[in-house]
Amino acid sequence: MTVWTTIRGVLSKRGLELAILLFAISTLLFFLLRLSGDPAAVLAGEEADPDLVALIRQRYGLDDPLIVQYVRYVLSILTLDFGESLRGGQEALLLVLQRLASTLLLAFLALIVTALISVPLGAWLGVRPDAKTRKWVNGIVFIFQGIPGYIVGLLLIQLFVVELRWLTSIGNQGVTSWILPSLTLASFLAPKMVRVVAANVSEAMREDYIRTARANGASTADVLWRHALPNALLGATALIGTQFAFLMSGSLITEWIFAWPGFGLLLVQSVEQLDFPVVQAAVFVIAGLVFVVNAGTDVVFRLIDPRLRRQQA
Amino acid sequence: MTAQTETTSPVRSLLPRLRIWPRAGSGNGMTIVGTVIVLCFAIATIGVLIWPPAEAYTGNLMERWKAPLEDGSVLGTDQLGRSLLWRVAAGMPWSLGIAFTAAVIAITLGTAAGLLAAWSPGPIRRVVQHLVDTVIAFPSLVLAVTVIALLGRGFWPLAATLGLATWPIAARVVYAEAMSISKRDYVMAARLAGVGSTTILITHVLPALRPTLLVMFAFTFADMLIAESALSFLGIGVPLTAPSWGNMLSESREYLVEAPQQMLVPATAIVLAVVAFNLIGDGVAAKARSRSRAVE
Amino acid sequence: MADTALLQIEDLKIGFPARDGGEVTIVDGVSLSVNHGEIVGLVGESGSGKSMLALASMGLVPRPGRITAGSIKLLGEDTVGLPDRRMQDLRGGTIGMVFQDPMTGLNPVRTIGSLLSESVRRHQRVSRDRALEIAEAALTSVGIPAAHERLSVYPHQLSGGLRQRAMIALALVNDPAVIIADEPTTALDTTIQAQILDLLRAKLVAAGGILITHDLGVAAEICDRLAVIYHGRLVETGPTADLLAAPRHPYTEGLLRAIPRFDRSRPRLVPIPGQPPAPSMDRGACSFRPRCDYAMDACAKAPALTPDGADRSVACWAPIGAPVLERRA
Repeated sequence: MTVWTTIRGVLSKRGLELAILLFAISTLLFFLLRLSGDPAAVLAGEEADPDLVALIRQRYGLDDPLIVQYVRYVLSILTLDFGESLRGGQEALLLVLQRLASTLLLAFLALIVTALISVPLGAWLGVRPDAKTRKWVNGIVFIFQGIPGYIVGLLLIQLFVVELRWLTSIGNQGVTSWILPSLTLASFLAPKMVRVVAANVSEAMREDYIRTARANGASTADVLWRHALPNALLGATALIGTQFAFLMSGSLITEWIFAWPGFGLLLVQSVEQLDFPVVQAAVFVIAGLVFVVNAGTDVVFRLIDPRLRRQQA
Repeated sequence: MTAQTETTSPVRSLLPRLRIWPRAGSGNGMTIVGTVIVLCFAIATIGVLIWPPAEAYTGNLMERWKAPLEDGSVLGTDQLGRSLLWRVAAGMPWSLGIAFTAAVIAITLGTAAGLLAAWSPGPIRRVVQHLVDTVIAFPSLVLAVTVIALLGRGFWPLAATLGLATWPIAARVVYAEAMSISKRDYVMAARLAGVGSTTILITHVLPALRPTLLVMFAFTFADMLIAESALSFLGIGVPLTAPSWGNMLSESREYLVEAPQQMLVPATAIVLAVVAFNLIGDGVAAKARSRSRAVE
Repeated sequence: MADTALLQIEDLKIGFPARDGGEVTIVDGVSLSVNHGEIVGLVGESGSGKSMLALASMGLVPRPGRITAGSIKLLGEDTVGLPDRRMQDLRGGTIGMVFQDPMTGLNPVRTIGSLLSESVRRHQRVSRDRALEIAEAALTSVGIPAAHERLSVYPHQLSGGLRQRAMIALALVNDPAVIIADEPTTALDTTIQAQILDLLRAKLVAAGGILITHDLGVAAEICDRLAVIYHGRLVETGPTADLLAAPRHPYTEGLLRAIPRFDRSRPRLVPIPGQPPAPSMDRGACSFRPRCDYAMDACAKAPALTPDGADRSVACWAPIGAPVLERRA
């Protein structure tokens, strides 16, 4: 089996999902915009002068029959033409793509932080047989899971910016400004990840092959690092793919709290300014990104996990 | 929850069932603690609806930024001198009410869709499954932000949007659960005895689904509360003047230096409610599991 | 004899904490020795404690169980209470174990070569490349064709028979002095079973080995001596041929009657009536009494394993074949 057949297999299965998704989103946006009143007024914003409204009405052909508008709209989406920003006049898609790197940097940092927290903690929880300690740590993880990310972000700001004055909380100004946003975004994923790693490790530690490893002289550390963790982490890393959408929701909030210049912040600002072309472009870029990450993890795991390779064969 | 059983991705099948492990304690104790907290919130919400507290909306600038327990104020005051205790209370119908409504919408739609998929022939089932997979794969907050931008702020737009963005998760769980129930011996026996499928649905499947629905409702409620507060926090939720917990948090960002209690009070309320509902969910799930183990 | 034994288990007791705070004894006072070039068969039903005895020999009694009394001498060294570090050196180096299920017993995300060379490098100071050569030789010696290519293969890519061969290679890769095989053929197809048994006989005879099985027929095929275990205690031991020709314990006789045979014209198979006892059952009386055709009053007290003729012993108040008068006494 080659890389290409794997990719083709994943795409043929997920491509349909992407098509449904894009179709659903575009249709939803189209009709919501028209249901919510005069689209020209919405597009022009709350205090727009009548000239602008008229201009928009003309440019978007809002006087044409609905079905004509819809077909024209779908065609423009298919050609990635989302129009220009109503505020700055730039190409909406370009505006969004310029922010892509920042969002990806934040997501990447958050994933590293998540791994640094959840792998050691989860592995420790998974192998530690002492019921009392486990109960306590479980309780703490449980409460952490109940703390929404935006509260974690505010608490971090309160502690490190307001009280201790160690860090800044605004924008991307070099490595020190990365710390709090990446911790905040990691807090969305880490408690869940700790639980998954711990569950996977404790499950793996009960497997027959662990006994085989012990019978061959493996120490507890060997058993954990060379036998249980590789199995446990394969499953846990797969979580990143399925949770990426959730991570993007978290990014939206994190970017807003820390004025992080990613497209989540752009989306929220554009929504507040009713800059509809940009909102639309951002939604489609996020949809595309989620798709790429999901399909990508699918491909990677089919390639690296021997068990999945067997399932496919 | 047995959420991961029916998925199209082989990667997902590797995931263990979330939320099952570990548990914070024995099922009963957790459920009781969670239920007591939730009942307190519920009574307070009803009280606030009957007697709206004027103190939540009017304040005296002379009394701004009082610390908790300072000069007879219980939880302190905000930048306009309004009592934080009364504001948190007045926010309950917004925050908890929207979360409740959204959870009801999500669970109802999800149950209907899950049962439809479980009881339909192949094509309909596949359409529902694809729809569910598609919506789950999209960041719900992004969707909600966009839709609310178009619908406008308010109780109903928010509740409806959150519910509509969340039902697929419930649908997936209900579908998996209904499929496993329909394979149980007593359902098979009823079917062989010639009982109609609608009757089986009402007399056998729905009762067996009850613990699952209860667990799911508790978790969904917690998730909806978090989502509602997040949207209000982003300024895209309830009307900006409403004292919802998310709005309070959003306002508090300006005054972290002067009055941290303005952030801590609504934050505590949110975490308390979320943990209470998670406790109920985990507790009921643990109890249902131990019961099914006892049957085996 | 005792001094030259590779593995000598003496009066071993293994207990698990019980729910009522007491302790359930799983293995109760078992003594067993394995000499060089000898294969000892340990035969018993599931739950009889035979697998626990094997794990104890490896120092792998699963928690919260523990060895409560007795000793296990491996090449003269008592391994009970040995520090972890020393026990790890012995496991896979001096004593190797073959497990029942080769599908779940081999790590699914590791290649055969990496599993074998990991064990080699843990016990021998050799380079990575040399370890792989040793691994390849081990695979060849257990009859795996194209061993070099098989090094980079994952367990699931091998057939059941080849997987079990790989598992045997893993147990043998460091030439251990003692090999324990726990139900090594139970999970395999009948046609493969015979091949694997042949391989095991060749390998176990070269060192010293214990074959654990519930199947007296399997044990009869390759073992020099047999030990029959029931409810955590040995009930009969002796040379295979003698023991099969003239079983002395009613339980052994029952096991024999339950084996299909083609060389004798016996009308039907006779199952042993009743159920095997739960490990927690009281050991004051003979444990086999409720299922025994010959039970009598004396059986209210458990008999000890006592010498019974040349190189044999039995734990029964009235062994089969003893004069009838004595049996009634």
